[in-house]
Amino acid sequence: MTLAQSLSIGAPEVVLAAGALVLLLLGVFRGNDSLKGLSWGAVILFGLTALTVIDDAPARELAWNQIYVADSLSAFLKILILAGAAAAVLMALPYMQRVKQHRFEYPVLIVLATLGMCVMVSANNLLTLYIGLELMSLAAYVLAAFNRDEQRSTEAGLKYFVLGALSSGMLLYGVSLVYGFVGSTEFTRIAAGLSAGGERNMGALFGLVFVFAGLAFKVSAVPFHMWTPDVYEGAPTPVAAFFATAPKVAAMGLFMRVALDAFSGMIADWRQIVIFMSIASMFVGAVGAIGQSNVKRLLAYSSINNVGFMLIGLAAANAAGASAVLLYLTIYLVMTLGSFLVVLSLTDADGNAVETLDDLAGLARSRPWLATALAIFMLSLAGLPPLFGFMAKLAVFNAAVDAGLWLLAVLGVLSSVIAAYYYLRVVKILFFDPPADVVVNGEGGAVINNGMMIAAAVFCSPIGYLLLGPLAQATRTAASSLF
Amino acid sequence: MTPQHLLLLIVALPFLGSFAAAFLPTRARTQATLLAGLIAVVGAVGIGSLYPAVSQGQILLSVTPWLPSLDLNLTFRLSGVSWLFAMLVLVMGALVILYARYYMSDEDPVPRFFSFLLAFMGSMLGVVLSGNLIQIAFFWEVTSLFSFLLIGYWHHNQSARDGARMALMVTGAGGICLMLGFILLGQMAGGFSLDTVLASKDAIHSSPYYPLALALILIGCFTKSAQFPFHFWLPHAMAAPTPVSAYLHSATMVKAGVFILILLWPVLSGTDLWYFAVAPIGAITLLIGAWVAIFQQDLKGLLAYSTISHLGLIVLLLGLGSPLAAVAAIFHTVNHATFKASLFMAAGIIDHETGTRDIRKLGGLWNYMPITATLAMVAAAAMAGVPLLNGFLSKEMFLAEVLEDHSGTLIDAVLPWLATIASAFAVLYSIRFIHQVFFVAPPEPLPRTPHEPPPWMRRPIEILVLACLLIGIFPAATIGPFLASAVRDTLGDQAPAYSLAVWHGFNRPLFLSLTALAGGLILYILFGGRLNAAKASPVVGRLKARRTFEAVVERGIAIAGWLHALAGTRRLQPQLRVLMIFALAAAALPFLFLGYSVGSERWTGVDPVFALLWLIGGSCALAAAWTAKFHRLAALILVGAAGLATCISFVWLSAPDLALTQLLVEIVTTVLLLLGLRWLPKRQPDIWPETRMPVQVLARRGGDLAIAIIAGLGMALISYAVMTRPVTDSIADFFTRNAYAEGGGTNIVNVILVDFRAFDTLGEITVLAIVAITVFSLLRRFRPASDSIETPEQQRVQADFDRRHADREVGDTVTDALMVPRLIMQWMFPVIITFALYLLLRGHDLPGGGFAAGIAMSIGILLQYMAMGTREVEDRLMVLPINWIGIGMLAAALTGAGAWLFGYPLLTTFFRYLDVPLIGEVPAASALLFDLGVFAVVVGSTVLVLIALAHQSIRTPRAARPAEPKAGEEQG
Repeated sequence: MTLAQSLSIGAPEVVLAAGALVLLLLGVFRGNDSLKGLSWGAVILFGLTALTVIDDAPARELAWNQIYVADSLSAFLKILILAGAAAAVLMALPYMQRVKQHRFEYPVLIVLATLGMCVMVSANNLLTLYIGLELMSLAAYVLAAFNRDEQRSTEAGLKYFVLGALSSGMLLYGVSLVYGFVGSTEFTRIAAGLSAGGERNMGALFGLVFVFAGLAFKVSAVPFHMWTPDVYEGAPTPVAAFFATAPKVAAMGLFMRVALDAFSGMIADWRQIVIFMSIASMFVGAVGAIGQSNVKRLLAYSSINNVGFMLIGLAAANAAGASAVLLYLTIYLVMTLGSFLVVLSLTDADGNAVETLDDLAGLARSRPWLATALAIFMLSLAGLPPLFGFMAKLAVFNAAVDAGLWLLAVLGVLSSVIAAYYYLRVVKILFFDPPADVVVNGEGGAVINNGMMIAAAVFCSPIGYLLLGPLAQATRTAASSLF
Repeated sequence: MTPQHLLLLIVALPFLGSFAAAFLPTRARTQATLLAGLIAVVGAVGIGSLYPAVSQGQILLSVTPWLPSLDLNLTFRLSGVSWLFAMLVLVMGALVILYARYYMSDEDPVPRFFSFLLAFMGSMLGVVLSGNLIQIAFFWEVTSLFSFLLIGYWHHNQSARDGARMALMVTGAGGICLMLGFILLGQMAGGFSLDTVLASKDAIHSSPYYPLALALILIGCFTKSAQFPFHFWLPHAMAAPTPVSAYLHSATMVKAGVFILILLWPVLSGTDLWYFAVAPIGAITLLIGAWVAIFQQDLKGLLAYSTISHLGLIVLLLGLGSPLAAVAAIFHTVNHATFKASLFMAAGIIDHETGTRDIRKLGGLWNYMPITATLAMVAAAAMAGVPLLNGFLSKEMFLAEVLEDHSGTLIDAVLPWLATIASAFAVLYSIRFIHQVFFVAPPEPLPRTPHEPPPWMRRPIEILVLACLLIGIFPAATIGPFLASAVRDTLGDQAPAYSLAVWHGFNRPLFLSLTALAGGLILYILFGGRLNAAKASPVVGRLKARRTFEAVVERGIAIAGWLHALAGTRRLQPQLRVLMIFALAAAALPFLFLGYSVGSERWTGVDPVFALLWLIGGSCALAAAWTAKFHRLAALILVGAAGLATCISFVWLSAPDLALTQLLVEIVTTVLLLLGLRWLPKRQPDIWPETRMPVQVLARRGGDLAIAIIAGLGMALISYAVMTRPVTDSIADFFTRNAYAEGGGTNIVNVILVDFRAFDTLGEITVLAIVAITVFSLLRRFRPASDSIETPEQQRVQADFDRRHADREVGDTVTDALMVPRLIMQWMFPVIITFALYLLLRGHDLPGGGFAAGIAMSIGILLQYMAMGTREVEDRLMVLPINWIGIGMLAAALTGAGAWLFGYPLLTTFFRYLDVPLIGEVPAASALLFDLGVFAVVVGSTVLVLIALAHQSIRTPRAARPAEPKAGEEQG
């Protein structure tokens, strides 16, 4: 295979990498005032990349000596990632102006992180995986601390970095153990090597455990979740929205590929780990959220909880489970983006961000549409019909029952009952509580943010079911490339 | 229009209407009523028009392909039983809409009310008409949601908010359980479509998941149909406007659970489990509901508990599992809907006209509103089971059923008693309702003088009461055919023969009925007067399900908070600790439980010297960690010592090249760190003022130490387990075989760097160069302002010393201090350079190479800076690190590209040995040039960082110093 062929298969990454450098250079020469232009440039870049992704034939293609794979799964995930990243770039514009942090690096960092995520979901080799993961993480550490004038943000960046570095170390250690015991870092060969011996490859199990620990950190599954609330709370809101969406998609996709492709011979072994993480995440997420008074922390716990549900689909370890995870990811992405968009557009009279639940009391009276949107997202996250989030939960439960994991499904139901409590609490605060004294303003001039918010709300509303047909088809095709 | 389209339209219409109503002006009461009423009537007519087909036993299906992959199509299914329920929903809906037009006041935003009500009607139709389980679960939850919105319609009212939330939490949670139960059921049946499920009774009964699925479905149904112990939400839902209570909480939504039980009765019932799970719950609910209803002082509360009791009756009938009982259940569902809805509406009128619902304050209304009173009396009589009314008929069937033997257990013996007692209670509360409200003189004047409501507000009640009478007197002619088609649909071949007649002769059920009527009457005569004083229902009132529920919720929140405080933390250290402990545990699992053990290779023993070396290294590392917080300099030196132990280990394990590189890297990093440390306080002795660590800190650090030791041992164990396994073919063999043959060198590491992996090396030195430039610019930009830095403490001490001695100038000590080492370092400079060049040249075959040489060279320059000070070095030496970097990069890249000239791929090496006079045979591979590039980049990068650090020392500190001690003061 020639370099040219490889380059054409890896076109999305090539476009992103080149684009990131161009944006960076432009930013350096034009200064911080170019933030707006660069942001739109980044969005256009994401669009171009999406075109190259869609352009790819759905057939499975390997490039660069089998370290890179382009298939329908990677294409599906990349579209999600690009959409999430584009939203994160756009939604930040008014915010950055408001907090006087308009620096040109923001879109560039997002593009770099996106590049890392695209590499992650296209990894066919543990080392490609690692490179992608690190590229994403390094950009993310900086993004977390982007608001340099605020102590919380700096603290978030530092914490994320220290813990992230530790988890990366674990992952790398696991990779080296797997390599040592299986003799390859390539997914297909690992799968072949694991099934070759006949008996269980115990050494590779160590590697697996550490690799999973590293991945669990990135998806913020319990017990590697503790950074999530702190980082979401501390990081600038658009950055937290970014963290909660695109990287989750990438890490979850990667998790699926590693578990269902590379370690497909050890399903019985890793299933235990995934089930444990799933149950723990669902319950910690649900229970942890109850006591929260900060919306961003609440959303952090909500994301932990949701990751638990996604892991149910992964634990099912069948095609239905995989496509359920993908469906869940898609819906989750929109719900979470929407929730953060609402949080982002709330400010008090002085222009400070409004983040506590108490301040949201009676929002329905002062800003009914905003409250309605947030209520839609909350109820959808709770998985209540007629909202679209119901479909996500239904799909994973169905997959779990399909795989005979009924106990997991029952525990999932139990935890979603607990989780429903705090989502409903938010709705109650919004609609039924007497209004708080805080004057809540919408973000001025954020037409695009409002547009995205409306789009997300419509997607989560029953109208979203109209999209279910094509969506289910796409997730099924994507999942089929793993089996 | 085909029946299929008609079905779809009937379900869709209410939702469209709901959407439209939401956009009507707030005061458009009549228009909203017309819209909603029209939709209900059209739906009823539509469903009615499909009756001929249904009555022949046809099942009408409307399938819209949607998600065939998940076995999910948008399916609507009209069969006998769903026809009956759909009709109930639509007709009741129409009547309630008419009633609500007059009930709602002008101040309320009525279109919103109708919007919710229509949406509820649509979702209720969805529940009864859906042809697959998932769809049912979907619409099921939607009904809960709109019930929530309708209960909370007057959201300025605290009890409405609480009631709404409680209802949603209970029924919503039940709905989620129901969904999972349905998924399991679909799994057992092999598909979610209702036809598939209903056809797979045997598969379902024999499945091991049957008990679980049954339990989940029952939880769903019991929460929705307000069965004990989930019944408590229903009385609190009475905070809703009365039309909502009449429609949702007596006629339709609470019947959804019953509907599912009837629908799935053919496949779920018929087992002991079914009987023992359903029948007792129904019986308990029947009795408790009736008992509590007696003591209610709120009209709607009385009706709510009565509803609970009647729902319990229906559930009990279904639980009995016999076909006749199922017939009775279906029949009573319809009858209850008619008389209870009319009673609710009457209660609403009374509330409306008098301004109170308190039974104790009401009385004598017969004088003011005789028509309403008559209607209410008929409906209440039906509720009590008085003959010639519909309630009597189904109650007779019920009593006949409980007299049968079903399980041969104690339950059979108890049921007739229980049924009679509950019936007597029903008679009692019905009499109390009528007597207290319409006849007894009120204790104090009514809040308002009541009069008859507008006639159209009374119409719905009149219609319903007429239905009660007609069904009660001519059952076979009125409800007969509809009931028959529903029964045939549900029971199929099992459909029993039953007779709908008012008079069955003197038999045991009639006897029980009469006993109950008489008992109720006697009880009222005996105790009726005292009931007004009751604050809560005796015995059962203690249960206080609502308070229990709230306590559980509150307790749950408290526990959640406690758990969160216990396990959650915002501090970094505990988070790290958790991460480490879990990783440890995960890695320990294979060893502890999966029988993983060390490999089979022989244990070669430990050399005591080597062990000692590691002991020293380990202690240094430990000590470094322990002191890092208090004394950074000491920690750094200890880290260096640990690194040195690693170096020696490499030598020991015959890797001199690695050892050399490691050593040099250690030196450079240590020195650079040392230079960096000057910006930080040297030591922090004052962290603990009492110079002793508090116990908890000691414990914490001890714990961390233990974790570190265990983790280290664990890593060692894994490594040991790995290394004691036979080595499979590794890439190392390839390099040993080919290093000389193809790369022309015997130093394998170097050949890998400059030949096999030259491209990687090119990348690495590029990165190194970038890093150096980045560090340089960072240090230049982000250094502290000179206003804020002070002279280092050491220099101050030295300057003080100089000042105190008359014969010394300030600065002398600094100059003198390193006199001897300085001289040595200056002399060493040429030696080190020569050494570096030597390393470079021999690198291809012997330990050394461009990287090691570069590091060695940098050490030379470093020493110069340390010995002579920045100014002096730069006076004498032209160090241009950027040029070094640039030249190095160029050299490496050009050497690599040179291969193209000869037609080879990038970075192909060429080698031969040259015979140089005096020196002898020298390897002259093109790789040497490449190595030269590496050398130059390493030197340039290291020195660049060094310069950035060193230049900090020539800046003049301007910060205000602490007051300097006066000379002479401390001399003595």
